[in-house]
Order: sequence, then structure tokens, then C-alpha cells
Amino acid sequence: MQLIMRKWLDRLFSFSAYSAIGLIIFVLVLVIGPIFVKGLGAYLFQGTIDNRRMMLNQFNRGDEGTLEVEWMEVKQERKSIYDMFSAFEKELDNMSATQRKTLKPVYKNIKEAVAVLIGPEPGAQLPALPRRIYGQTRWDRAQLKAKDVLFEETWDYSGAEGKKVLTPRAPLFKGTALEPLFPKIEKNLSQLMRPRLTFYPQFLTDKAIDAHFFGGIGAEVAGTIYLALGAMLIAVPLGVIAAIYFKEYAKEGPTLSFLRTCVNTLAGVPSVVFGLFGLAFFINTLHVSPGKSVLAGALTLALLVLPTVIRASEEAIAAVPHTYKEAALSLGAGKWRTILTVILPAALPGILTGIVISMGRAAGETAPIIFTAAVSVGPLVMPSEVFTTPTPALSWNLYNICTEHEAVEEIRHVQYGMAATLVLIVLTLNALAIVIRAKVSRKLKG
Amino acid sequence: MKQTEQFIVSEQTQRQRKAVAWLGRSFLFAVTSVAALAVLAIIFFIARDALPFFSGARGWDFFTSCEWYPTATPPKFGAGAIFVGSFIVTVTAVVLAVPPGILAAVCLSDLLPFNIRQIVKPVIEILAAIPSVVFGFFALVVLAPFMQDTCGASSGVNALNASVILAIMALPTIVSVSEDALQAAGRELREGSYALGATRAETIVKVVIPSAVSGIFSAVLLGIMRAMGETMVVWMASGNAAQIPSPIYNLLQPVRTLTATIAGDMGEADQMTGSAHYHVLFAMGLCLLIFSFLCNLAGEWIVTRQRKRLRGG
Repeated sequence: MQLIMRKWLDRLFSFSAYSAIGLIIFVLVLVIGPIFVKGLGAYLFQGTIDNRRMMLNQFNRGDEGTLEVEWMEVKQERKSIYDMFSAFEKELDNMSATQRKTLKPVYKNIKEAVAVLIGPEPGAQLPALPRRIYGQTRWDRAQLKAKDVLFEETWDYSGAEGKKVLTPRAPLFKGTALEPLFPKIEKNLSQLMRPRLTFYPQFLTDKAIDAHFFGGIGAEVAGTIYLALGAMLIAVPLGVIAAIYFKEYAKEGPTLSFLRTCVNTLAGVPSVVFGLFGLAFFINTLHVSPGKSVLAGALTLALLVLPTVIRASEEAIAAVPHTYKEAALSLGAGKWRTILTVILPAALPGILTGIVISMGRAAGETAPIIFTAAVSVGPLVMPSEVFTTPTPALSWNLYNICTEHEAVEEIRHVQYGMAATLVLIVLTLNALAIVIRAKVSRKLKG
Repeated sequence: MKQTEQFIVSEQTQRQRKAVAWLGRSFLFAVTSVAALAVLAIIFFIARDALPFFSGARGWDFFTSCEWYPTATPPKFGAGAIFVGSFIVTVTAVVLAVPPGILAAVCLSDLLPFNIRQIVKPVIEILAAIPSVVFGFFALVVLAPFMQDTCGASSGVNALNASVILAIMALPTIVSVSEDALQAAGRELREGSYALGATRAETIVKVVIPSAVSGIFSAVLLGIMRAMGETMVVWMASGNAAQIPSPIYNLLQPVRTLTATIAGDMGEADQMTGSAHYHVLFAMGLCLLIFSFLCNLAGEWIVTRQRKRLRGG
């Protein structure tokens, strides 16, 4: 009896341990999956005619001739809607006061929703904001916006929580000139929008237009690259030299253990405190730049990744076989020469692994650059400006456009695209590290 | 005779060589000191900008009062609720992360065959590589609406949301450090236990885990440090309301943490001239710094105690 019980407890234990691993992998897929799937939507999507017009006007991309032909057709198609509007407006004047009172506000809403869906009436004065000049550029958004035309949205507060209620508008306009509008938008939306599968790889490099409504994330990608590269330029020499000192020169003693404690403590400092330090020291005390700048951000990030670089380099140096060193010394090479020509080259792949992983970390960090380097909206920073100008960066701007943007829901695809790009950059760097590590272990095996 | 003379170095060259070696050594030491002493600079400059806040009579209110109105006139800097918020989120995250973390570590070290372990370990490391802002984005866009629909929370951004994401972020650290500790427990220990007729579960629970307990403790400490110091996730997912949830275990209410307050308020605070609001944020940074410092000390104490015990036993 007891034996059976113990056996079952054993199985239960194994099962829960396996399921813990399963849980972690499930969570990983749950987090990364939607970000990659929806992030792909920023690069590959059903683009409407308005997308192609916007591309031609803003980026001078696409074939003008074929677009013109297509646009004429769509314009004809859309014109019938505006004809309906003017006919309905005439009808409205002849209606009874009560009927007019009920229909007029609804009509106003419909007109606004249509303007959002297909853009302003051709020939009318163009709005200032690019987002209002064009209709919906993405087919998925267009389908959503079509619902705003077809349905009246009200909220039902009879229950404990408010519930959204959609009532179709079509019955209200039965018998008026506006009646054919609803089946047209419901059934012939693709005629109005002409969706076509669009591959937009330039999302990665294009500038953003009108607060990310159109265009890509070029400025953010460039900012992230500057910050990550800059941080490594500063951290790598410091880190590698410190590792050489720790492994080849330092003797056990209070000084060494103190220095080691310092490095360990540095590794535990919360990232937001690095940001505070960067602000208080690099900007407000040293005045490395008049305000936030790429340089200040890179210096702050360099401190953040320094312990990782030191540890990885130390491990790599420690992994170099003793025989290498002894052979070099026995050939008469000095200590310096041994380190520079034998130990460092042998440890290089290991050091490189640490550098690449740290670079991924620097690219993904947000808190240290908030007060030192990042701006919400900004143009592409040129390499010559990195010492004085702040920059947009993928990590900070992802935060910014999903919390502080004026139309968070409208630009979900950009947010997902940005998140996926950031994850992809970091994971590529990590994969690179794994490849280097695998190569090294194969080489060491011979 | 001539050939041996070639190898004899004159005294002057020898001195020169020694001087060069000494210079090189000093250079290395200087650079290393810069790298290592950066942490002292951090402590100094955070403290320098934090102390003006404590010099007034505001110091006591900072820890005890829960009235956080930094932009009112006169401003009130009672951060009690913010400390409680940080505490709640961290504790919940660690409570959520430790059991699956240790189980996963056991699975990696004792159950999975070598080949599969070589695949699973990097996969778990991916979780550690994902930037925190992406986790925050996930919390805001995927988890928050889900929580609003299923848990009956009035808002999807609340203490539980932040804690769940922090737990996910702390998991890889806890798994890899505990796994190292379990591996270090050694094969003889396990074989001895099996020889006495114990099942695998009994071996692990009664023999392996007790012998690896200090390593597991340091894994939990690292998890606590990661959860406490994390900024973006709590900023985006915790709701940022400076209040103590009532009752205190109600995790579906929004809270505000130290890190999120620093990140969120520094934009409003006057960064150049240094207002009281600016200094209070540095005071919070100093508290975080001291906390992580204490965690580090505790970790090192555990490691040295373990080493002593091993030497003694």
C-alpha cells in the first residue's frame, strides 16, 4: 500500500516538474507568438488604394500610370456615395421637423465615418493632417471603419458594467436617398478600397509620417543601433581590460575582493537607477551634452552592461588552456606579449559571445535612456549629431506609442511591428552568440 | 662565448623593462578601478541628489504618509503607498515564480535527458533576452484586456497583471541559478539516496534540494532583485495609482511602485534646477539602491556560509 502511494507521489512529482517546463515554454510562445504574428502585419498586409496613393505622394514609390487608372475607377465608385449625400441633403430640407431632428445627427455621424473610411471628398480642401488626407490604408482597418458607418454605437449601462450595443443604421434611412449606401459599403467595400497584398520591407527604414500613422520606424531603428553600438564601444575596452587584470594580474587580497564586490554590486543596480545616475552625473555634472543625447545614453548603457562584459571576458580568459600560456612563456615571450598574442586571440570567441549578448541587452533597455537619450518624436539622427542630439529609440518609442499616443488603437500594427522588430534584433544577436559558442566548443574539441 | 652574450641583458634594459611592465600593470589597474568604482560614483551621485530631500522635515512623512501629491501646492511627498505597492508586486511575483522555477530547475537537472536539456535551456534563455518593454507591451495589449474580461477586474492594469509579468521575467534567472545549485549537489549524494531505496521524488525533495538550498536561496534573491528593480513592466501594467489596495491582498486593484514613479515623474520634475520633486525621485532611487545592495550582501553571506559549511563538513 505504502509502496504504491510512494510510486504515485513519485509520478506526480515528475509530472509537475515536466509541466513546469511545459508552462515556461507555453508562456514563451504565448508572449512571442502574437507579437511576431501581428508584427508581421506591419510588413505584410492587405493595402488599399489609399495606401498606394499615400506611398506615391509621400515616398514617391509605385507606378504612377497604373495607379492613375485604378484611382479613376475607384473615384467613380466613390463618387456615387457623394452623389447620395447631396441627394439626401436635398431630401432633408423637405422633411418634417421631427424626422429631420432624428436623421440629421445620424447623417452627420455617417458623413464623418465615411470621411474616415475613404478620405475627404475629391475636390474639397485638403485637411492639414496627412492621416485625414487619405482613407484607410489597411484593409483590416477599413473593414473596422466600415462598421462605424453601418452601425450606431451605444452603451447599455443597465447591467453592472457598460456593454456596447451596435444597432444597424440602415432601417432608419429606408426610403431615403441614402438607402443604397449601406448595402454598397457592406457588400462592395473591396470595390471602394481595392485591397491588395502589399509587402512593405521599407517599414524598417522609412521615416514616420504624422505621428506613426503612416511610414515606418527608421529613426527608431537607427537610434537603437547608435545606442547599442555606442554603449559597446565604451564598455568593451573597459570590460576586457578589467577582465585581463582580474584574471592575469590581480593577486588575492582585500583590494581584489573589494573590486569584485563593486562589480557584483554594479550588476545588481536597478536599471532605472542607472538612468537617474546618467542624468545626475553625465548630463547635470559633467555636461557631456547640453541635454539628453545619444552620447549620454550610450555612456549610461555602457555602465549597465559593463558587469556582463567583464564576467564573460573573465570566463573566456579562464577557459584558455594553461598549456597555451606556458608554451608562450617558455618560448621567451613576455607577459604582455603572451596576453596580446596568445591569450586574447584564444579567448576572443568567448569574449565576442559576451559582447553580442550585452549588445542585445543594451538595445532592449528602456529605463536608462528615458532621462538620458530618448525623445518621443524626432527626426533621424545623423552620425555627426550623436554627441548633442537625443534620438528616438525602439524601446522607448514602443512604450510611447502604446501609452501616450493620441490614437493608440489606430496604430496597433505599428506598435506590433516595433515590438517584433525589437525582439527580432535582440534574438538575432542572441542566436549569433549561440552560434559563436557552438563553433568555439567544436574547435576546442578539435 | 659571443652567443651567450646575446642573451645577457644589461642592467639598464632590465630596469627599463621593469618600468614598462610596472606602467602596464598600473594602467590595467587604473582602468579596472574606473570600471569597478563606477558603482561608488553611482551611490555618491544618487545620494548627493537625494539628501536635499531628507534635510527638511519631510523625511519622516516620506516613509509613513500615503499622501503623494508632488505637484500640488504645497506638494506632499508621502511615499508609503508606493513602498507598499513595490512590496506587493515583488512578493506576488516571487511567490508566483518560485514554485514553477524550482520545479523546472529540478526537471532540467534530474529528469530530462542530456540532448533535450541542451535544447530546452537556450529556449528558456530566450525568455530572459526579451526586452522588458516588450513584456510591458504584452501586459498592456494582451493580458490587460484578457484580465478585464475574465477576472472581473475593473481595470486590466493592476497589481496582479504586473506581478504575473514580473514572475515570467524572473523565471529564467531562478531556473538557471537553481539548476546550477542542484547540479552542484553531486552524483554521489543522489546515488546514495537511491541505494537506500528512495524514489526519485524522495531523493530530490529530501536530499538534493536540502543540500542545494543556499543556491536556491540566492536564485530567489536574484529573482526578488529583478522584480523590485524592473521599471517598464510595472509602469505599463500596474495602473500607477498611489494607493494601498483595500483589503491589502486585493491584487486586482492598481498600485504604484518606486521604479514606475521615478520613470513617470522625472519628465514632470524640473530636471535642471532640482526642485523638491526632482530630489524625492532620487530619494526613491537611493532606497532602491540600498535594497539591491542589501540583497547582494545577503547573497554573498549565503555563499560564504555555504562554503564554510562545505569546508567544515
